[in-house]
Amino acid sequence: RVSSDGKPPKFQPPPKPVIIDRKTQKEERRFLSPEFIPPRGRTDPLKYYIERKDMIQRRKVFNIPEFYVGSVLAVTTADPYASDKSKRFVGICIQRGGKGLGATFVLRNVIEDQGVEICYELYSPRIQAMEVLKLEKRLDENLTYLRDALPEYSTFDVNMKPVPRGDHEEIPVNKLQVRMKPKPWSKRWERPKYNIKGIKFELPEHKMKAAQKWCQPWLEFDMLREYDTSKIEEKIRKELNEELAK
Amino acid sequence: MMPIWTKSGEKHAVTLLKVQDCHVLRYISKEESGGKTAKLLVGGKNVSPFSKPESAHEIFKEAGVPRKQKVTTFNVTDDAIIKPGTPLYAAHFRPGQFVDVTAKTVGKGFQGVMKRWGFKGQPASHGQTKTHRRPGAISTNKAAKVYRGKKMPGKMGNIYRTSFGLKVWRINTKHDIIYVNGSVPGHTNCLVKVKDSKLPTYKDCNKNPPFPTFFADGDEELPEDLFDEEIFQFTDPSVTFA
Repeated sequence: RVSSDGKPPKFQPPPKPVIIDRKTQKEERRFLSPEFIPPRGRTDPLKYYIERKDMIQRRKVFNIPEFYVGSVLAVTTADPYASDKSKRFVGICIQRGGKGLGATFVLRNVIEDQGVEICYELYSPRIQAMEVLKLEKRLDENLTYLRDALPEYSTFDVNMKPVPRGDHEEIPVNKLQVRMKPKPWSKRWERPKYNIKGIKFELPEHKMKAAQKWCQPWLEFDMLREYDTSKIEEKIRKELNEELAK
Repeated sequence: MMPIWTKSGEKHAVTLLKVQDCHVLRYISKEESGGKTAKLLVGGKNVSPFSKPESAHEIFKEAGVPRKQKVTTFNVTDDAIIKPGTPLYAAHFRPGQFVDVTAKTVGKGFQGVMKRWGFKGQPASHGQTKTHRRPGAISTNKAAKVYRGKKMPGKMGNIYRTSFGLKVWRINTKHDIIYVNGSVPGHTNCLVKVKDSKLPTYKDCNKNPPFPTFFADGDEELPEDLFDEEIFQFTDPSVTFA
């Protein structure tokens, strides 16, 4: 840079440091487990409030980690018929169902060439430990198509080490496209009603076009099906944060 | 309905019943009613007084209570008579007790014989002409008439039915909620009548219930939640089999 008239260049002060407050940012992006959101219906909201109190009570004693459909979990349950009185099962979470205390999740794994799926209740007192070995999301909310996919996509090592994850990072979305066994499948996954993005369809073009006959494009404009949960979620998230902080 | 777990890890389904503004309305003595025991009229759930004429409000004015949606009678022994106007709470019942619950079943409207009485109907194919869900024959030749009470299509549901012998697992005194085992007749948020069980197996099951009822202004101070002994409470750590 050429100095003006031989004088030293004008002093530029260094840029001010921008302070990013990590703590406030962390509280804004808090995960709300889907079983807390009440379904649409004519039940008294008092019932959901009382159920939520019980759920919070259980979460204070036993840590239920944050996980999504597609993450790999290891669950230890109490079993009166096992020699150690406890059973450990590792698997990928296929689906999460139910609301309130009866919320469930299904773990799938292939053990010695046999596919095994176990449905656990999140709030059951028989669960002694729940750890997330790999926290990630997939392209779909429901991975039941893994039953018709090649077994390599559902096998997970029983003695897998937990994958380390830095705090406050975005949940990684695994854009894996799964290859399927030859048809027939348990459900016609190519049909638009399942809206699956995680399968690499190797079907001929005319079959994919024929499947589009069952698409219902008017469904996304149906106003009676809309259920806006943003405000309900805010209230429940605030309530949860207050109670768990106590 | 909610799940509830016992200390051994078994799951039971439980129905929540709320005791909403229940008051005793009138005492009818044995001679007046003409029955074997005295009766107490009890009303539940407050409702606006403007939709009924003044003549219907007499019972409520005597007891000093707003108009109730439903009024039922309970047969009571002489030592359990309560003064009209006293409120009744969920703490009247205790966990471990057994209870009968009466309510009007969900109305299904005019229903055919297969849904209403569980008839088998006829096959779907193999030559059946216009006959798949019909009752078939309704009487024999010799009878020459149709008997009274023959099961036929008609209005189904919306009648009073009782579930007997339901166990009370838990009581919430703050919100007046009774957790009753199993399912109960009626739709969500319908009015329900809860009585002590009349089954002979549960005759001696009540150990020291509040008699004649639980009075809120008394000296007894109950905790917010009363649990049965076998319930797994969420404050305990997870269940382990030794």
